[in-house]
Amino acid sequence: MTDSSAAKAGDAAISIRGVSMSYSGRRVLDQVSLDVRRGEILVLLGGSGSGKTTLLKHVLGLAKPEAGSITIKGVDITRCAQSEIRTVRRHIGVAFQAGALFNSLSVEENVALPLRELTRLADSTIKLVVGLKLMAVGLSDAGSLHPPELSGGMRKRAAVARALALDPELLILDEPSAGLDPIVSAELDELILFLKRSFGVTILVVTHELESAFRIADRVAMLYQGRLIAVDSKEQFSRNAHPRIRQFLDRQPDAISGVAAEEFITSFLRGSRHDY
Amino acid sequence: MTFLEQVGHAAVVHVEDAGALAMQFWAVLRKLPRVLPVVGSRRRWRSAVQQMFAIGASALPMTGAMSLCTGFILALQGASELRRFGALQFVIELVVIAFTRELGPLITALSVSGRSASAISAEIGTSVVTEEMDALRVMGLDPVEFTLAPKYLAALITLPCLTVLSTLCGIFAGYLFLALSIDMSLRIFFQAVAEAIHLRDVAFMLVKSVVFATIIIHVGCLEGLRVRGGPEAVGHSTTAAVVKSTFLVILADLGTTAIFYLMGWSSTG
Repeated sequence: MTDSSAAKAGDAAISIRGVSMSYSGRRVLDQVSLDVRRGEILVLLGGSGSGKTTLLKHVLGLAKPEAGSITIKGVDITRCAQSEIRTVRRHIGVAFQAGALFNSLSVEENVALPLRELTRLADSTIKLVVGLKLMAVGLSDAGSLHPPELSGGMRKRAAVARALALDPELLILDEPSAGLDPIVSAELDELILFLKRSFGVTILVVTHELESAFRIADRVAMLYQGRLIAVDSKEQFSRNAHPRIRQFLDRQPDAISGVAAEEFITSFLRGSRHDY
Repeated sequence: MTFLEQVGHAAVVHVEDAGALAMQFWAVLRKLPRVLPVVGSRRRWRSAVQQMFAIGASALPMTGAMSLCTGFILALQGASELRRFGALQFVIELVVIAFTRELGPLITALSVSGRSASAISAEIGTSVVTEEMDALRVMGLDPVEFTLAPKYLAALITLPCLTVLSTLCGIFAGYLFLALSIDMSLRIFFQAVAEAIHLRDVAFMLVKSVVFATIIIHVGCLEGLRVRGGPEAVGHSTTAAVVKSTFLVILADLGTTAIFYLMGWSSTG
């Protein structure tokens, strides 16, 4: 699987070249170059503040980089007109971290929204498509509920259903398993793999959850302090000797903060012993 | 930074702020026709009607009650002075002129800015925090047309209506006072009101209410859009929205009244 997708490296769904960005003097993205190949699941790993959210915003055309280019479907979205970005976005489905569902609309209406607004489909057709998408994510029974009535896992599923509404070639998931319990998170991983198998979509997942990353990924990329420090198949990635990757994979705290925490705890315990 | 640099920097920041305000306003104005019933999109109009209920209809009881009370207070205060000159019937003129020119629009604007400026900035702020705005943009929908424009239209339509109703409430409170104190009949009261009311004052009232509506909705939306970070930022933005819109409404009231006075449009007779 990994080898076959490596063989056709030529056709990238997303091609990021030398993207740099800084906010008020701080470098958030530093010369990031990354290809997402057609039909693969690429997991972008990174701790908090590593720049993965910023990179995502750039890929979606919500922010413009200082340098570099991002090409999706042959269009450089960092340099093209707003109307062209809109055309490109028709082929991208995005599920945001908190779902970003519209609370005033029911789940069905949320999924129907892009169809109603951007296509000229008849109402009956829209209803059918919405039903199919909800079935694909396992939410057939929850269509009439409103987002606040959903559990965390259902909300993410609903967000995925809405992202799938326009049959995108490219699906982008921001932290799909963050804040979910292990069982629901595993179900979501299954869903992601199912989507790849049955619809053949290219999927870019941004996350910091290692377990789910290794379950779903074809390839894994890792951002650290705005730099891309590794892009590899997951087997090779797990053998990578880069100290930061080892630290991330072995769940080690930063050396200094570890010592500081220990000191804090001992002084705290000593202090509380004096009190009692 | 030297002192001069600081002053210059502050000036640039404020000019930029004002520029952003104007740009945002222009962006919404350009999208406003899309919300209108026949020429625009039916779905936007429907969402505008929803907003009208949220901004207008639900504000009606409170605004009406405030106007009734204020009208009655005004009549009481006026009567205690006018009675000394045996000119109690001038209470009608006092209430009518005060409400059409000043209190009707002002009370309505203050109650709507308290209720809706905060609600709108909270709603928009939350949708920024939960990435709903980004989601709209990524779906290829324009947040200005989808979220902001219906709210602007709703405010611009409902505030003048509310103002008229609140003025009627205030004047009715004047009648209530006179009916209770000197048994004035409704017929005589209506005659006196018809004499005291001027078309020019009513026009003045409507102009004011449109200006206030613009301020309230614009400040509410902008404070919401400015939210960055987490949910606690939403709290700050709602406070800022109420404080700023209330202050700006009073300021605009002073401005418009001064203009009308200087142009000589406000003198009776």
